[in-house]
Amino acid sequence: MLKLLKKCQDLIISLLLGALILFLWQAGKIHELLSLKPYQLPLPDEILKTFRENADVIRDNTFWTLREALLGILIGSLIGFAVAVFAAAFPKIGIGGISIVTAVNAIPMIAMASIMNNWFGMATASKAAVVAVFSMAAMALNAFRGMTDLPEFSRELMQICAARRMTVFFKLQLPNSIPYVLTALKISTTTGLMAAICSEFFTSYKGIGYKLTSSIKLSQMSMAWSYILVATLCGVLMYAVLSVVERVLLKWHASQR
Amino acid sequence: MKKKTNKFLSVLICLAFLLSLWELIAWYLDQVKHDPMAVKKLPYLHRVIEQIFRDADSLMSAVMFTFTKALEGFFIGALIGIAIAVLMSFHKSLEKMILPYMIVFQMIPILALAPIVYSVVRDQNASRTVLAAFITFFPVAVNMYQGLRSVDNDKKELMRILAADRIVVYAKLMFPFSKSYLFTGLKLAAPAAVTAAILVEMMGSSQGIGFKILSALYYGATGAINFWASVVMASLMGVCTYFLVAAVELLTSPEFLTRLFRRKGGGAKC
Repeated sequence: MLKLLKKCQDLIISLLLGALILFLWQAGKIHELLSLKPYQLPLPDEILKTFRENADVIRDNTFWTLREALLGILIGSLIGFAVAVFAAAFPKIGIGGISIVTAVNAIPMIAMASIMNNWFGMATASKAAVVAVFSMAAMALNAFRGMTDLPEFSRELMQICAARRMTVFFKLQLPNSIPYVLTALKISTTTGLMAAICSEFFTSYKGIGYKLTSSIKLSQMSMAWSYILVATLCGVLMYAVLSVVERVLLKWHASQR
Repeated sequence: MKKKTNKFLSVLICLAFLLSLWELIAWYLDQVKHDPMAVKKLPYLHRVIEQIFRDADSLMSAVMFTFTKALEGFFIGALIGIAIAVLMSFHKSLEKMILPYMIVFQMIPILALAPIVYSVVRDQNASRTVLAAFITFFPVAVNMYQGLRSVDNDKKELMRILAADRIVVYAKLMFPFSKSYLFTGLKLAAPAAVTAAILVEMMGSSQGIGFKILSALYYGATGAINFWASVVMASLMGVCTYFLVAAVELLTSPEFLTRLFRRKGGGAKC
C-alpha cells in the first residue's frame, strides 16, 4: 500500500499543480496578474458550461476537421512512404530528394493553405491536401532513415547470404523502418491537426478552425476555448491510439522491453 | 569530402527536376488545357522569379519586417524554454511535476491559438511575438531537457568530487554537453516561429509578408503572380531561418572557435 502510494506520488504532485493552476484561474488571480478581463480569458467553469451546452455543434465540427486531418495524414503518409522506398532504392539520387523534402517542413503552413485553396476549392480536399504535404515530409524523412539506418551485422549477414535486393528490402529494411514509421505518424497527428485547423481559418464554412475565428468575431470567447479544448483532446486521443499500436506492433523492439 | 559533393550534386539534380516539373505543369495548364485559372493555379516559374526581382524592394522589406518580429518571439521563447529545462534538471521532483504538462502541451495545436492570442492581446505586434515565443518554447524546452538529462553520471560525480559549484557544473559540463540538443530544438523551432508570425499577420496586420500574401489574394488574376512571389519568398524565409540557426551552431562549435583563436593558444586544450 505504501509502495503504491509512493509510486503515485509523482502523479499526485503533478495533478496538484494542475489543480492549483485551475483554482487560481477560476479565482481570477491569473486575470489580476495579467490585467485581463473575464471576457478576454473566460473562467474554466464557463468554458465547461459552453462545452456542455453546445456539445452537438462542437462534435459535428470536430468530426469535420478530424476527417480532413485523417484523410490528409493517410494520403500524405502513403506518398511519403513511397518516396522513402524510392529514395532508399536509388540512394545516389535519393539523398538529394530527401534533403529537399526536409525543406518542405520549413514552408509556412499558411502559404501552403492558400495555394491548396486555389487548386482544390474550399471543401475538404484542399485542407486534406495541406495536411498531406506535411505528413508526406514527416513520413519520407523518418521512413528513409528507418530503411537506411540498418544494424551493421544484419546488413553483413544479408550480404554473406547473397540475398537479393527484394529479400533485403522485405526482410530487413521494411521491418527495420516500422518504429520510424510510427514516429512519423505521431508527428503527423499533431502537425496534421494543426494544419487542418489553420487552413480552415481563412476560407472554409465548417470545422474547428472556422468556428474558432467566427466565435471570436462574435466575441464568444468561451466557445473558442471549448474548441481549443476539444482539439487538444483529439490530439491526445490520436497519440494514445498510436502508442497502443506501437506497443502491439513493436513487442520485439528494444525500446519496449 | 567527396561524399559531400556527391550529396550536393544529387540535391541539385532533384531540384532541377522539380523546378522543370513546375514549368512543365504550368505549360500544360496554360497551353494544353487552356485553363483560364492557370495563372492562379500554377504560373510559370520564370514569371514568378521575374516578379520577385521586379518587386524586390517591397518584398524584401516585408520579409525583413516579419523576420525581425519572428526573431523577437523566437529569442524570448528560446530563453523561456531553456529556463524551464534547467529548472527541470535541478531537482527530480520538479521534473516529475512539470514533465507531464510538457507532454500534454505538445498536443495543443498552438497555431490554433492564434485568433485567441490575437483577441486577448489586441495588439498585432505583441501577439505576433507572443505566438512566435509560444511555438518556439516547446521544442527548445524538450530538446534542451533531453540534453541536460543525458550528461554522463561519471562526469557529474567527478565535478562533485572536485567540489565544484552548481554554477560551475552547469557552465563547464551541462551547458556545453547539451548544446547540440539545444540546437536541434532551435532548428525545429525557427521555421515554426516564422509560420506563427505570418499567421498572425494574416489575421490582421498592415505590414509584413503575411499581409502581402493576403492582399494579393484579393486581386484575382493580376494579383496571382504577386501572390506566388510572396508565397515563394515566405517559404524561402522559413528555409533560410533553418540554415541561419545551423550556421550559428557551426560558428559557435569548438572546432571552429579553436581554429579561429589558434594563434592565441586557445586550441591547446582540445
